Amino acid sequence: MLDYHHLSITFGDVEAAKAVSFSVRPGEVVAVVGESGSGKTVTAMSAMGLLPRKAEVTGEIVLGGRNIRQLTNKELRELRGNEIAMVFQEPMTALNPVHTIGWQLVEAITLHQDIADPKQKAVELLTMVGLDRPEQRLKQYPHELSGGMRQRVMIAMAIACDPKVIIADEPTTALDVTVQAEILDLLRELKDRLGTAIVLITHSMGVVADLADRVVVMYRGEVVEQGDVEDVLIRPGHDYTRRLLAAVPRLGSGSRQAEAATEPVLKVRNLVVSFAGQRAVDDISFEIGKGEVLGLVGESGSGKTTAGRCTVGLQKPTHGSVELFGQDIARLSTRGMRPLTARIGMIFQDPASSLDPRMTVAECVAEPLVLHKAKNHKERITELLDAVELGSVTRDRYPHELSGGQRQRVSIARALALDPDLLIADEPTSALDVSVQASILELFLDLQRRLKFSCLFISHDLAVVDMLANRVAVMHKGRIVEQGSRADVFGDPREQYTKRLLAAAPVPDPVEQRERRVSRG
Amino acid sequence: MARYLLWRVLQAAVVIFVVTVVVFFLLHQIPGGPARGILGVQATEDQIKAFEHAQGYDQPVPIQYLHYLGRLLQGDLGESFQLNQRVADLIGARLPKTLVLTVLSTLVALLVAIPLGVWQAVRRNRPTDYLLSALTLLIYSTPVFLVGFIFIIVFAINAAWFPVEAPQADTVAGVFADSQALVLPVLTGAGVVLAVFSRYLRSSVVDNLDEDYVRTARAKGASEARIVTRHVLKNSLTSLVAMLGYYLPVLFSGALVTEKLFNYPGMGLLFWNAAQTSDFPILLGVVLIISIATVTGSLLADVAQALIDPRTRRVKA
Repeated sequence: MLDYHHLSITFGDVEAAKAVSFSVRPGEVVAVVGESGSGKTVTAMSAMGLLPRKAEVTGEIVLGGRNIRQLTNKELRELRGNEIAMVFQEPMTALNPVHTIGWQLVEAITLHQDIADPKQKAVELLTMVGLDRPEQRLKQYPHELSGGMRQRVMIAMAIACDPKVIIADEPTTALDVTVQAEILDLLRELKDRLGTAIVLITHSMGVVADLADRVVVMYRGEVVEQGDVEDVLIRPGHDYTRRLLAAVPRLGSGSRQAEAATEPVLKVRNLVVSFAGQRAVDDISFEIGKGEVLGLVGESGSGKTTAGRCTVGLQKPTHGSVELFGQDIARLSTRGMRPLTARIGMIFQDPASSLDPRMTVAECVAEPLVLHKAKNHKERITELLDAVELGSVTRDRYPHELSGGQRQRVSIARALALDPDLLIADEPTSALDVSVQASILELFLDLQRRLKFSCLFISHDLAVVDMLANRVAVMHKGRIVEQGSRADVFGDPREQYTKRLLAAAPVPDPVEQRERRVSRG
Repeated sequence: MARYLLWRVLQAAVVIFVVTVVVFFLLHQIPGGPARGILGVQATEDQIKAFEHAQGYDQPVPIQYLHYLGRLLQGDLGESFQLNQRVADLIGARLPKTLVLTVLSTLVALLVAIPLGVWQAVRRNRPTDYLLSALTLLIYSTPVFLVGFIFIIVFAINAAWFPVEAPQADTVAGVFADSQALVLPVLTGAGVVLAVFSRYLRSSVVDNLDEDYVRTARAKGASEARIVTRHVLKNSLTSLVAMLGYYLPVLFSGALVTEKLFNYPGMGLLFWNAAQTSDFPILLGVVLIISIATVTGSLLADVAQALIDPRTRRVKA
């Protein structure tokens, strides 16, 4: 159906794909996996004839017996959307914000088909992808739909002309796990019903295990391994695949126990935060003891980040109290807060934007020391950079000269500069590749055991929290629905929502994932 | 939306009030004052004192301002010293003609700028794009009066295609009847904003062409022409509409020079002449009208954008 033969793509002197060969059969899901920069997206996109002009391509891409590289622009346009369609990662920006869903769907239909009532067909498509009230949806704009609904619209557009192949580029990466599970189910169902072949580009081994029949593993532009999903994921042949799989955090691998109750460093009581009358955080209470890691998990919009911001005074609560080291922060002035903030470190999700681009690594790490008038900066910086395993060569580099993982190490060094008693980490690894994530998590775990700081670890990734936390609190729609020791919450959840969340997270083992899917029903 | 509008109108009223205060006090700082302007250099000190007393100009400025504000609230803009007519009548007769000039200039500028900006964006970073950018930038950085002079010399005097002077008719219908004389003033006015509009549209279209939704449209099999006209243009025009409102003052000040240059009897010429003679009531009146137009312009721009862009439109419950 779709064949890549010795495909090489170069941009200037960068080889994005090197002699890539694999094929996709009708009705089959082939997952192309790899970390960022592995060339997986460029390779797949080349089948659409949609590479930037400066890309140099050699080799062949054959779709339905025709070599795509020999087609004219007009012939390519007739192919796109008609025989080969795409689903993109970010469903918000992938849809035109100023046109209705209906307009965009009808366009996808009428560009290739001459049918009397394209609106009717659009309604059928929306019904097929499981959107309720399809007639009404046609009149809505993208921003009026949720992320999951928008991705269903993208899929409806992709299947509008019954394409032979759908290329899905990280179709669930921007979505919450429960929504991800729904979208994966939808793709599976459509593939079975329509016999469409799917090229699934993803970095998530869980998604691969859930949906793929075959796997192509890419590393630095090359295919290092390909084969049936069970072979590759359970009996990986290549060293890189083994390393990749070992780096994937797995639920149930956690071993940390809840510690005996000590004097809490952070005490949150009946916290409420309202934005324009909407309760983002709705009456939550929790404590973090000395040396304890509390994992705060929840999906996007659950209020976990807002709750985290309240604990350090970055966000004023509407009601309720926050006690840091025994002091109610509502009663403190900005000046009175300062000695407390010296005892707190923060790590944010995106190290690229949370480090000042005009400060060197050493300056970034030194900043808290300067602000809080600490002594012996030089030695401390060396100590800190050693602690996060950054060599002294990085000292005078700027953030843009570092990799994502190195940047996050700088963030950690900065957060630890004043030897804090409490660390607030908001999704510190979700912008990183899995192998980088694994090394950062290991580092974090090691540092926490050594320095014994308490930590509020905010994450949507249950497996990551399972690795690190002593106790877990699950947030849903602003409330904490369940809270307890890690072993209890993940091993024996009481609440329906926690169970759903745990069931929705895919595991990177195709056999186990199939069983989980069946039992989920 | 209603609450937002009310809030914006209140804001606008405050802005206009502040403008009148500032302008009133600044005008009174001008050396010589209106008396010298009207009575001429020959007038004696006594004559000037008598005039100032009669007009109340010997009172402290804040008191004068309160008198002015009191009359203003009754809709009285005062009377021109020089022309012996009510300012409201003077402005009322000229405002429509200035509107004709600015509206036509804007339309012409848009008619040229939209296709130009789009074309440049599609062929971005190629020689034709650079050439056109240089050309529009040249027009943009040339002072209006110089552009007008060049037009007059080339098209009116040398080629003799159009008259040197703008239409002199009193009515709007009369102005349109003399349409040939209108061409050069309109082109000059258009030159003021043409480059701004086309450059803005070019960069907006370039930005939009990099958006994910354009990639989606390409993946659907839409042609480049369709992508530009049906997908990108609507997004780009939304922001251009907002810009139009903010450029109202620029258009007005352009009209000031254009009207003087072509001797077009609109508000700009009225203002120009009044400024020569320190005819305070006219100056105050015109500034007031322009400040009202400016704040309504930006208000309309925001409202228009809110209406066009579905994201800022109120979500139906």
